[in-house]
Amino acid sequence: MVYAVEVENITKRFGSVVAVKNVSFKVKENEFFSLLGPSGSGKTTTLRVIAGLEKPDEGRVKLRGKDVTNVPTHKRNIGMVFQHLALFPHLNVYENIAFGLRMRKYPEDEIKRKVKEILEMVELPGFENRRINQLSGGQQQRVALARALVYEPDVVLLDEPLGALDLKIRQHMMVELKKLQRKVGITFIYVTHDQSEAMVMSDRIAVINNGEIQQIDTPYNIYMRPANRFVAKFIGEAINFIEGEYRAGGYLDTDLGQLKVPVRDELDGKKVTYAIRPEKFKIGEAADPNFENKLAGIVSLAMFRGSFIEYRVKLTNGQEVIVFEPYLSPAQKIYQAGDQVVISWHRDAGVLLEF
Amino acid sequence: MKLVDAFLKYFTYLLMAFTYLPIAVVIVFSFNSSRTSLTFQGFTLDNYINLISDTRVWIAWYNSVWIAIVVMVISLICGFLMAYAVVRYSFRGKDIIDIFALIPIIIPEIVEALTLLLTFVMLKIPLSPLTIIIGHLVWDIGYVYVVLKSALAMYKKEYEEAAWTMGADELQTFTKVTIPILMPSILSAGLIAFLMSYDDFIKTYFTKPAGFEILPVYIFTQAARRGYSLTLNALASLVTIVALIFAYIRIKLMGGE
Repeated sequence: MVYAVEVENITKRFGSVVAVKNVSFKVKENEFFSLLGPSGSGKTTTLRVIAGLEKPDEGRVKLRGKDVTNVPTHKRNIGMVFQHLALFPHLNVYENIAFGLRMRKYPEDEIKRKVKEILEMVELPGFENRRINQLSGGQQQRVALARALVYEPDVVLLDEPLGALDLKIRQHMMVELKKLQRKVGITFIYVTHDQSEAMVMSDRIAVINNGEIQQIDTPYNIYMRPANRFVAKFIGEAINFIEGEYRAGGYLDTDLGQLKVPVRDELDGKKVTYAIRPEKFKIGEAADPNFENKLAGIVSLAMFRGSFIEYRVKLTNGQEVIVFEPYLSPAQKIYQAGDQVVISWHRDAGVLLEF
Repeated sequence: MKLVDAFLKYFTYLLMAFTYLPIAVVIVFSFNSSRTSLTFQGFTLDNYINLISDTRVWIAWYNSVWIAIVVMVISLICGFLMAYAVVRYSFRGKDIIDIFALIPIIIPEIVEALTLLLTFVMLKIPLSPLTIIIGHLVWDIGYVYVVLKSALAMYKKEYEEAAWTMGADELQTFTKVTIPILMPSILSAGLIAFLMSYDDFIKTYFTKPAGFEILPVYIFTQAARRGYSLTLNALASLVTIVALIFAYIRIKLMGGE
């Protein structure tokens, strides 16, 4: 199988700082692939290595099976959307989009047709003669995308392009971007520190931290089966960790007593972390008999969040856990700080992480 | 507070009047029909007619313009390359360049004029229009460098990178992206360079060959030899108006930023 992009054992140093450490991944044709990590994690450097804007100290980059490690940027057939967009202020919308086509020596009538097509695709028909400073942030975004897509590159690289937009427009653009990628059928590599962007749009996500890949998987698996504590914490709104020692048969000895956990006997006798998302708990005056685990606690904080209620529950060992309870009807009881409650959950609702 | 506000406001007006009154007087009196008196005795264009019928003025003006154009073009090219190198690359001694570029602007012009003349004499270089140009360049390149360096520092590298990703090589990126985006600053630096050369008197006076005149030198020699003449008023008015037009163009250019 020929991959759209292959990154093999890339290492990049800036002076004594190692920005990217031995990073490898393969991106399939037409895939929406995200590089997700906090700022300074090396995700942008990785993207720039693929673009040829940084030269890796070690490792190789392949585009559609062809080794391009030593090919200059302008000879790699890529498109890129920059963080600050970098639309050319001296050119209008038409000339900005036509730039890549002109470099590829397309005849003028074909340029005209292609620009018109792509402007319709990004829902800016008739914007050809606008100046860049006459466009709103969202419109500039679309022009930057159109400019990178119009010559049908092997891959489009996007470096946090939605970062500068307001939340509402950003949410709208996420969906638009995903739809557009499906429609044009071009491979996207998307760099972001915003996990909701990565979750909404990606086919697969590579979580990266301190220059190292932590996990590469689908949004579902990244959320439900994080590979380590970093991924578990970085993805999703919140997560609870309960530490203990694993016992064969799916038991965990903790200072809260023995809990029932997923069966993973290869971990027998090891210290592990049991990670549970806040929405997996059931909260009530008594335990739900359908669940294997229950713990008593006292509500220390209750916050009405609209679609759910967020509780902080102090357990007997002093640990505080976060619980999200969906708010389904006004008849539902909202506990107050100081209330005695029991939280219960299914053993498989959480996941075991090795230290 | 009100009093202070009012005072500051009128003080500013006063200052402006003080600055521009002499220029206004020169322009008004260039239309004066009296030859001997400094009182306005009626409107005339005679002074201008006298001026344009004097071929020496035309030759001096022609010399001023072509020298200024040559100086502008060379200092733009050199200043841009210097600024580009300093902003984009790291090399030894880069930090000192800023200081060295500014020194010719800071030291008194008369000293610089002297050192230029002494250097030419020492190196046995005969004075010619070329020595005038060299003298102007020593100064103008530094100015252009300073203006373009600040423009380049603001210019985002992302523009160039964007051009590369779309398939433009270094040369195409330079001619189609970098130069056009920087054009307002380049034009502005060019106008400054032109005007600095066009206006210069001291250095030109020291480095010019005998018998070669540019406009400021012509005005000086006329004023020194024949004393006050309304023809000079007319000439000064024209020179001022040309400078004001250039200044206006420059403000317009920078206004777009």
